[in-house]
Amino acid sequence: MKKRIAGISLVLALIALGTAGAATLDRFDGTYIAEGSSFRYFYTPTTTDQKVAANTQDGLVEQDRYSRFVPSLAESWSSNPDFTEWTFNLRKGIMWVDSKGAKTAYEITADDFVEGFRHVADPKNGIKNLSKDIRKLIFGLNNYYLDLVDIDSGKKKDITRDKALAAFEGVGVKALDKYTVTYKLNVPTPFFLSFLVMELFLPVEKDFLAQVGPDFGVGKDKLLYSGAYYISDWQRDKQIVFKANPFYWDAKTIKVKTINLQKVTDPNVTVQMFQRGELSQADLAADQVKALAGTKWAASIYSDPPAADRFSVTYWFVQNFSSSNPEWKAFINNLNFRKALSYGIDRVKLNELDDPYKPASVIRNTVIPEGQIYDEKGRDYSDYPGIKEIRAAGNYYNKAKAREYLAKALAELTDGKGNIKGVQAAKVDMKPVAEFQVDGKLPLQMLYVHFNDPTDTKRALLLKAMLEDAFGKENIDVQFGQVIDDMFAESVEPRRFDMIYDNFRFGFADPSAQLGRLITDGGINDGQYSDPEYDKLVDEAAKKYILSERYKIFAKAEALFLDRCYVIPWKMGGSVYTITKVVPFTSPKGGFGITRFKYKGMVVEKDPITVKRYEQLKAAFLKELAAVNTK
Amino acid sequence: MGSYILKRLGQSLVTVVIVVVSVFMLLRLMPNSGYFTREDYVNMDQAARTAYLRNLGVLDNPFVQLAHFAGGLMKGDLGRSISLYPRSPVSSIIAEKAPYSLCFGLASIIISMSLGLGLGVLMARHKDGFADWMGTLYVTVVRAIPSLIWLFFIQLWISGLMGWPMIFYLDRPVSWILPTISFSLAGLGWYAIWLRRFMVDEENRDYVKFATSKGLPRTRVMRGHILRNAMVVLVQYFPQQILLTIAGSLLIESLYNIPGMGGLLVSAVRQQDNPIVQTIVLLYAVLGVLGVFLGDLLMAFVDPRIKLADCSGKGA
Repeated sequence: MKKRIAGISLVLALIALGTAGAATLDRFDGTYIAEGSSFRYFYTPTTTDQKVAANTQDGLVEQDRYSRFVPSLAESWSSNPDFTEWTFNLRKGIMWVDSKGAKTAYEITADDFVEGFRHVADPKNGIKNLSKDIRKLIFGLNNYYLDLVDIDSGKKKDITRDKALAAFEGVGVKALDKYTVTYKLNVPTPFFLSFLVMELFLPVEKDFLAQVGPDFGVGKDKLLYSGAYYISDWQRDKQIVFKANPFYWDAKTIKVKTINLQKVTDPNVTVQMFQRGELSQADLAADQVKALAGTKWAASIYSDPPAADRFSVTYWFVQNFSSSNPEWKAFINNLNFRKALSYGIDRVKLNELDDPYKPASVIRNTVIPEGQIYDEKGRDYSDYPGIKEIRAAGNYYNKAKAREYLAKALAELTDGKGNIKGVQAAKVDMKPVAEFQVDGKLPLQMLYVHFNDPTDTKRALLLKAMLEDAFGKENIDVQFGQVIDDMFAESVEPRRFDMIYDNFRFGFADPSAQLGRLITDGGINDGQYSDPEYDKLVDEAAKKYILSERYKIFAKAEALFLDRCYVIPWKMGGSVYTITKVVPFTSPKGGFGITRFKYKGMVVEKDPITVKRYEQLKAAFLKELAAVNTK
Repeated sequence: MGSYILKRLGQSLVTVVIVVVSVFMLLRLMPNSGYFTREDYVNMDQAARTAYLRNLGVLDNPFVQLAHFAGGLMKGDLGRSISLYPRSPVSSIIAEKAPYSLCFGLASIIISMSLGLGLGVLMARHKDGFADWMGTLYVTVVRAIPSLIWLFFIQLWISGLMGWPMIFYLDRPVSWILPTISFSLAGLGWYAIWLRRFMVDEENRDYVKFATSKGLPRTRVMRGHILRNAMVVLVQYFPQQILLTIAGSLLIESLYNIPGMGGLLVSAVRQQDNPIVQTIVLLYAVLGVLGVFLGDLLMAFVDPRIKLADCSGKGA
């Protein structure tokens, strides 16, 4: 223990040395691309909305810069042994603040959390991110919600809306007293804290809400503030200014007193503004990084995927197992072909389109992201047997293996003369995405659907080239279909594809967040495959609530799922280069909810952080993190 | 004249109603899937999606929705945004944004009209001379090169050269200069080239030759006859151009981060925000029709030979 404390002290001293002498600023100037929809912080469809929610409101718990769940407006909590009842004890004397930074007469109490959830649970409030999973998680919530839906649609007439609203008393969110709020859940949920960092679980002041009515959140003075900042100035489609909340419960951690965000839609203008000293940070696309090579700025450009707000997003290829293209349907339902496909895709080459400098560093072969969830012994889920080996494999691309598995698939699926067994000539109608003729013979014709933007088109061409190179043009013919705006509505939902890619965020701190919705008929089983063995494992894992036992079975399920190539993961989100004056590793870190958008604790310096300094800080932080996780 | 005005007002009203109702109904033909993202489809089941649409009011019969819109309009209520800025009153969204577009638009009209008309006169007066060549070169450059290129060039280089901010700040007047210039450049070319063209046309007419042969000074011929007659054709566009400055510019407002009306219609259409789209369409239709009407009146005012009503009083 003493050694560990000494280690942490050393690391802290190194960080202190790293920042010693550097002039810090109490102001951050940033940008945003899309205007937020409103300040109704329970519904945050854009990144700007999430920044507003994360910085103006606090929940019961939050994640610190090591991603640990730590107290926020709740100073302590406990759960029953099977994790179905959670009790949170609130800090006393914390007041809501208005848009002038003045203390209001309203204290933040347990009722505010109940009122917040009551607001979220009423379908009339249009909170789209109240997912069916959460409705089924909180005791009594699903029935309450569906009753209101049926009343609104006229299906249910035996009860008035007011009576149905009064039934919220039966929902498992309650204020036991002024400072105690409890949540009753339908299933054991040891990872419930990761739900509480979502915007859905934020508080609202009942009297104020009633006072502003439908205007709640339509302007900076139409909401109250419980977070580290309040909105002092706002011009729609122009600027949002946050000022530090002087009555914040954790005010000592707030180093930056003013956050000024301006809407700038052109990334080139953003970079120019940074170079002219008008901004504290600018994200850079690959071509901008190239353009700045050889300039004085190059020494300050770096990429830190785990710190990026999309790090917990995983990209994977989806194969259509029920395609109307009979050639593809025959092949994709063959395991050897799927393995050939997986070995035939060069992840490094594909990733060069996003990160030309370190493409291998953004490969992700697993569904669940690394460094996000840890068992009770501090072991990362992605280090569990089965998953660890898949991660270690790196780029799965192997032309020889691809050909070996293809040969096996061809032996099983064709008659040796180029005819695909059981497949007749047919016209494949996937209009308006594509329409083509197949002849039931090799080469296998497959439809790859992609967005019509330049990068995605390049990616499609690259994929075609690598598959035709690995398999031979005599065996595969990749055709393209394009979508313009909405991949799901234009292609996935109407089943107009053989292969596409999609990306999904790891929503809460349990493997079931992804693996649970990839089962047969799962919410994101876009390929429409079915594997009872995988489904059974996921079901079995979900019943364990000791994390190490739970993770062991989930890891087995994920390894099986990946080995059978139902989807082919290939990269993580967040491969963004940045040039910044913000000292890395100073603000909260976490892939769940809105944590990653918090500015709390952030330190801004006068000059850009150099790559060298970033590397030093990173090494120190990783040591510190390892020490924290094994504590 | 009075009957003419009444008749035109009646026609204008019918035009506006046809435009607004057509757009209103076309909006209702858009698929409801546009209200949901991929994440929404993952999060929401069919019951939740239907409840969401019902609460937006988009599942109601289109004629019922039209009646609500018309009823609200009578009471001065333009409704609330449903998807772009959910629950924000449409009237306050437009009230926040329109002044920016109007101010930049009017300033640019003043600049482009005064400089453009001046350049047009100069070009016509020195036809085939240096001024004409330079003016033609300017107009050709402004029209031939995609505007994004020279607009970005102005923003990047001139702001760097002068040390001015790259984007617009309300409290820093120096940041207003480049967007105003950017707004003005294309209009300046338009006024110049058309005035030159109409003045050259007039210059070849018999009455000009007659006035010149009578010994009238060239300046007086240019000012009193050629310019006056050439302007008759142009003035009819002035009211419409002035009124429609409220529409702003998608490109320039986006480049300089001006929170005006420029991108509002496009964003609202993309997000199927019916209350915003129908209000903007109504606004633009009214201003467009009014602009044409005022243009005709102005033309008649500038050129007394133009009669808007025939002698029998039946109207033109």
